[in-house]
Amino acid sequence: MNLNTQFVFESKTKRLLYGGMALGVLCLLYIYMNDDAYHTRFWSTWLHHAVFFSGISFTAMFFLSGQITAFAGWNTVIRRVWESMSQFMWVGIILMGLVVAGVWGHLHHLYHWNAEGVTDPNSPHFDKIIAGKAGFLNPVWFTVGTVGFLAVWYFWAMKLRQASVDQDTMETEDFKYYKKQRKWAASFLPLGGFLSTVFLWQSVMSIDTHWYSTMFAWYSMVSTWLGAISLTVILIIYLKSLGYMEYVTFDHLHDIGKFLFGISVFWTYLWFDQFMLIWYANNGEETIYFFERMNHYPVLFWGNLVLNFVTPFFILMRNDTKRKFGTMFFVALIVFFGHWWDFFYMIKPGARTAAHEAMELAEGKHHGSSHETAHAPAAPAAAHHAEEHTAAPATADTAAHAGEAAHAEAGHEAHTPDAAAHEGASHGEGHEAAAGHHGEEADESKSFKFGYTIPGLDDLGVLIGFLSLFLFFFFNQLSKSSLVPLKDPFLDESLHHETGAMIEGEEGGAHH
Amino acid sequence: MASNSKKVLFGLYNDEEDLKSAIKVANEGHLDIMDVYTPFPVHGLDPVLGLKESRLHYLGFIYGATGATFGFLTMSWIFTRDWPIMFGGKPYWSVPAFIPITFEMTVLFAAWGMTITFYTICGMWPGVKAKTLDDRITDDKFCVAFDVTDASEGDVDQLRGFFSRTNAAEVNVKTI
Repeated sequence: MNLNTQFVFESKTKRLLYGGMALGVLCLLYIYMNDDAYHTRFWSTWLHHAVFFSGISFTAMFFLSGQITAFAGWNTVIRRVWESMSQFMWVGIILMGLVVAGVWGHLHHLYHWNAEGVTDPNSPHFDKIIAGKAGFLNPVWFTVGTVGFLAVWYFWAMKLRQASVDQDTMETEDFKYYKKQRKWAASFLPLGGFLSTVFLWQSVMSIDTHWYSTMFAWYSMVSTWLGAISLTVILIIYLKSLGYMEYVTFDHLHDIGKFLFGISVFWTYLWFDQFMLIWYANNGEETIYFFERMNHYPVLFWGNLVLNFVTPFFILMRNDTKRKFGTMFFVALIVFFGHWWDFFYMIKPGARTAAHEAMELAEGKHHGSSHETAHAPAAPAAAHHAEEHTAAPATADTAAHAGEAAHAEAGHEAHTPDAAAHEGASHGEGHEAAAGHHGEEADESKSFKFGYTIPGLDDLGVLIGFLSLFLFFFFNQLSKSSLVPLKDPFLDESLHHETGAMIEGEEGGAHH
Repeated sequence: MASNSKKVLFGLYNDEEDLKSAIKVANEGHLDIMDVYTPFPVHGLDPVLGLKESRLHYLGFIYGATGATFGFLTMSWIFTRDWPIMFGGKPYWSVPAFIPITFEMTVLFAAWGMTITFYTICGMWPGVKAKTLDDRITDDKFCVAFDVTDASEGDVDQLRGFFSRTNAAEVNVKTI
């Protein structure tokens, strides 16, 4: 068994990945051209993939650091996979950089806190709740919290990788590079652990600007972690199918499988905690998040649980399924897709609402007429907001569920006088048109639509594109050094790793 | 109880790798090992001994499933039939609120069920006297034991020969 093998990034694979990227670009263009005026679908799709794939490379680094710090020896033979995945973070900086540029240049309306006048008390668009959060939700913090933190993490990932690659060329028996790796790994844990929460608050949670949840960062970070674990399984099985990594055995796969199973259950725990606490407390400004998603995005909502809990839980519960390459590949594919779906579910409904709010502002509509804000009791002129709130959902529901024009008209009429009563003199003129428009918008923002209510085929194309991009950088990194850290002090332990599981009928079990 | 007592010939090894290679030698010579004792679970021992996969985990699943069903149905019965209470305007049958209790009952049933089952299988209950061949096998020695109650002189000699060939640190006989 020759350990000193290097991955060869063949031109055939490269061509395939270029093809995938081209498909992604075409699908992005298609989405961009068939979009609303603010290109909400394009921007939210971009954000979705930028966060998901940056998150995967971050959690690969985080997981690796945890393993190194804990003196875990079993994973040494697959460590280079995680090292290579973590190097994708610098591409993540560019991907997130576009979103940051969009915030500064007001190119998109993903974040309602970035809208004109919401923090200005003299503006008719003033929103007291957003103004209270403006110290954190502003373009400067957004830049620091997304690309800034990614840059810090990337620096650590680069240093750790460097120490690991340098170790291969070490001539004498020495723990110098190993100690170096431990320092970078251990210091990354608090850095990654604390900063990742801010990253996710800024980039994903602040889409639903009025809403917040203390469970959110945990839950979404674990989601990217599962993306990283499932992708690791897929890539290891792929590399083995090419004839690499013959020293990675059932036992290594079994241990990654335990992580895939255990962290899936952990994800479910966090998901359910977030849901149940909000459901139980029943505060309007908190429940709106789940109310929206359960009622208007039921496929996303329930599909999330089926993909990410039911499938891994029941398939990987048995000991032997974690040791079968076919089963593990299948489950890893579902879990990877499932966590991509999870981020879709987190981002799309909120982005759709934010875009409608932004359009209402642009049309000079009073801020409070959007259904999300209407729940905010502390907003100025709370009384009229509350009244309007009772009217708005009724309008939306009627319009959404009845195909007949008569119903839609009834909805308009119900809404128009109500809203008219509240509109100040300054808005009086353009009001009739705006209010009429609102009824249609509410209809539009809730009804079924590919790319929001469920992912469309073009979204899958974009996923393939970004995945190809990720894999391109991954394989490129992987081909730059030996597939195992040759001089790692734990290498021997890893090569002889056994989980002790005994499965009847498996090659390892037939000793007599 | 005298009829149940066994005469056991056992060898002690200093290392689990010695133990595993000794067992392989015993398998080649078709020696009938009564049992193997180790201070900690040794990876890869079960396949060498040719032990069948344990069926204990099926029971674990059944206990857990029983607990989940019991917890969920009990909560449902209490809050819809026996003593319905309105909590914060929620419906009586509020599934999300039952999930933590269902989970806890699953864990409780599985834990108790498995503990009782495991003790029963191992013949352990309060007041039972431990049949330990040598105190050191709970500390740092690895033991291979043969039942020699009905063995002939020649058989015993063959076993002693096996122990000396596989570098056993000590060989003893004990009636338990």
